Amino acid sequence: MNVEGVFYVNSTLEKLMLDELRNSCRPGMTGGFLPGVKQIANVAALPGIVGRSVGLPDVHSGYGFAIGNMAAFDISNSDSIVSPGGVGFDINCGVRLLRTNLHEKDVVPIKEQLAQSLFDHIPVGVGSKGIIPMNARDMEEALEMGMDWSLREGYVWAEDKEHCEEYGRMLNADPSKVSLRAKKRGLPQLGTLGAGNHYAEIQVVDEIYDKFAAGKMGLERLGQVCVMIHSGSRGFGHQVATDALVQMEKAMKRDQIEVNDRQLACARIHSKEGQDYLKAMAAAANFAWVNRSSMTFLTRQAFAKQFKMAPDDLDMHVIYDVSHNIAKVEEHVVDGSLKTLLVHRKGSTRAFPPHHPLIPVDYQLTGQPVLIGGSMGTCSYVLTGTHQGMTETFGSTCHGAGRALSRAKSRRNIDYKDVLGKLEEMGISIRVASPKLVMEEAPESYKNVTDVVNTCHAAGISKKTVKLRPIAVIKG
Amino acid sequence: MDQELGELSENDFMLPPIKYEYLDHTADVQLHAWGDSLIEAFEQCGMAMFGYMTELAYVEIKQVHTIEANADDMMGLLYHFLDELLFLFSAEPFLICRKLKITEFNAEEFRIVCKCYGEEFEIGKHPQGSEVKAITYSAMQIIDEPKDNKFEVFVIIDI
Repeated sequence: MNVEGVFYVNSTLEKLMLDELRNSCRPGMTGGFLPGVKQIANVAALPGIVGRSVGLPDVHSGYGFAIGNMAAFDISNSDSIVSPGGVGFDINCGVRLLRTNLHEKDVVPIKEQLAQSLFDHIPVGVGSKGIIPMNARDMEEALEMGMDWSLREGYVWAEDKEHCEEYGRMLNADPSKVSLRAKKRGLPQLGTLGAGNHYAEIQVVDEIYDKFAAGKMGLERLGQVCVMIHSGSRGFGHQVATDALVQMEKAMKRDQIEVNDRQLACARIHSKEGQDYLKAMAAAANFAWVNRSSMTFLTRQAFAKQFKMAPDDLDMHVIYDVSHNIAKVEEHVVDGSLKTLLVHRKGSTRAFPPHHPLIPVDYQLTGQPVLIGGSMGTCSYVLTGTHQGMTETFGSTCHGAGRALSRAKSRRNIDYKDVLGKLEEMGISIRVASPKLVMEEAPESYKNVTDVVNTCHAAGISKKTVKLRPIAVIKG
Repeated sequence: MDQELGELSENDFMLPPIKYEYLDHTADVQLHAWGDSLIEAFEQCGMAMFGYMTELAYVEIKQVHTIEANADDMMGLLYHFLDELLFLFSAEPFLICRKLKITEFNAEEFRIVCKCYGEEFEIGKHPQGSEVKAITYSAMQIIDEPKDNKFEVFVIIDI
C-alpha cells in the first residue's frame, strides 16, 4: 500500500462492513466482488495516490473501487493513474434538488394526480426513450456544451447553471473521443430517468438543522415542497466506461502497471488512454447534466400544468446539482503544499467548504450544498461542506444509503404487498415501472441513510442542514 | 405468411428449454447458464440477460437480426457476445430476444455469429424489468469439460 486506507462508520455501519468482509472470507466463497474493506486497501496501493484511500459511511463492494470510495492522485507524478472503476459505469450519476414555494397542504389533495403527471412526463424504466427531440448533430453539441446546450435550446433557466457543479459543463469534453456505439446507445435515452436506484421524488422539508444555510438555499419553512431527481448518463456513460476498460487493459500491459485486482483497470493520467478517457468521461458528464436538465424541464411542466401556474411563479429554482460518480482535477493541500490532483469520487459527493472559489456566490458563506438521496420511502438530506472535510477527505462526503442486501436476497425476503402497504401508511404515493424494483429498492435493502449522514456529521466531513421527507416517488 | 416474419421459418419458432438461473450478488446479478455444449451455454447466457430485462413470455418472434462478436480469448468472446446483444437492445433495432441461435462458434479464432430472434421492445407490451448497464469480467467463469459433459458459464452483469 502506498498510503493508508480508512473508512468512516458508526457501530451499526461498522458491523455491516465487517460482516461483508467476514462473509467473503468464508470457505467456498468464490467470485463476485471483493469486500469493500479489501477494495479500499487495493485502491490505497495504486500508483500515484496521495493522502488516504477513503471509504465513506455508505461504502459497499463495487466493480474495482468500492462504491463510496474516494482517492486522489498527484497529476505531477508521471506514474499516477486514472481508473474508470474509480468513477463507476454511470458516469456523473448525481442528484439535483428543485425547490418550490408550495406547502405540503397545497400538494396533498392532488398528490396522486401530481405523481401520475410526473410519471407521465418523465420516461422511466428499462427500454424507455427520451421525448426531447434530438438528432445526431444535436447530440454532438450537447456532449460538448453540457448545460449550455440545454440553456440555448430553452430547457433550463440561466440561473440553473450557477447552481450546478462545474456550471453544468466540463470544458475538456471531446465527443470525438467517444465511440459511435456509446453515442448510439445514448441518443434514444437522453431525457430518461433510467431504472435501478434512480428516481424522481416529491419531498417536503421535515427538519431544519441550520436555519442560515437552509435560508440561503431558499428552504425556509417546514412542509415546503421540493423535487429531487437522481439520475446519470444512462447507456451513454455505461458504454464510455466499458470502452475505456477495454482500452486500459491493453495500456496496463504496455506500461507494466501492476495492480492488486484485475478490475482496477487503469492508465497513466498522461498516457493517450488516460487522456482519452478523461475527455470521453467529461462528455458523458455533460450528457448527464443535459439529461437531468431535460428532466428538470419536464418536472417544471408537470407542476405548471397541475397548478396552472408558471414554473417561475412556483419558484422552481435548482437549489443545487451534485455529481457522485466522477473524477475531477482539483487543487488541494497535501503535506502543507498546494498540489493539483485528480480526485476520483465513486459513490461520493464533493463537499467544498465556505469561501471555496469553485462554489457559487450564493453559497460562499454556507459551504457547498451536498444532496444525499435516501432509499425509497426514507428521508433525504441536504448537507453542507466543511473545512474539516477539505483537509481530511479532499472535500468529499457520502452519497446516499448504500446497499445492504443483494437484489436477489431482497426479492426473496421482502414481500411486495408489505412494501406498498408501508409506503401507503407513511403517506407516500408511488409509481414504478418494474414491480420487482419495489422489493429490490425497499428501505430494508439499504443501509439506513440517517446512520450514514449522522456519521458524516459527527466526523465533521459535512454538516447537516435540512432533512427532506418523500411524499411521492417515481421510479424505473 | 406475415410480411414482418420475412425470412423466418417454422423451425425458428421452436423455443429452447430454460437452462439458466440468477445467482445472488450484492448490488448486481450473476447469470449462471449451462447446456449440452458450450455453444448452448453461451446462447442460454444471452437469454438469461434478456430475461432479466423483461418477462420473456411476453416476447414474440417477429424479426431476426444477426450479430457477430470477436475477441482474443474465450472470456473476451463471452464478454463481447453479451455486449453485442446488449447493444442490439439499447439502440436500433431495440431488439428484445426470445431465442438465440449461434450459427458459427470458432473456438480458435474466438468468433461468434449469432441469429437473434425477437421483436422491438415496446413499453406496455413487455413488462419492464431491470436495466443492464454493462457486462463485467468480474468472477467470470467458463467451464468447458466435454468428458463430463459439463458446460457452464458464470457472468456478473452490472445493473
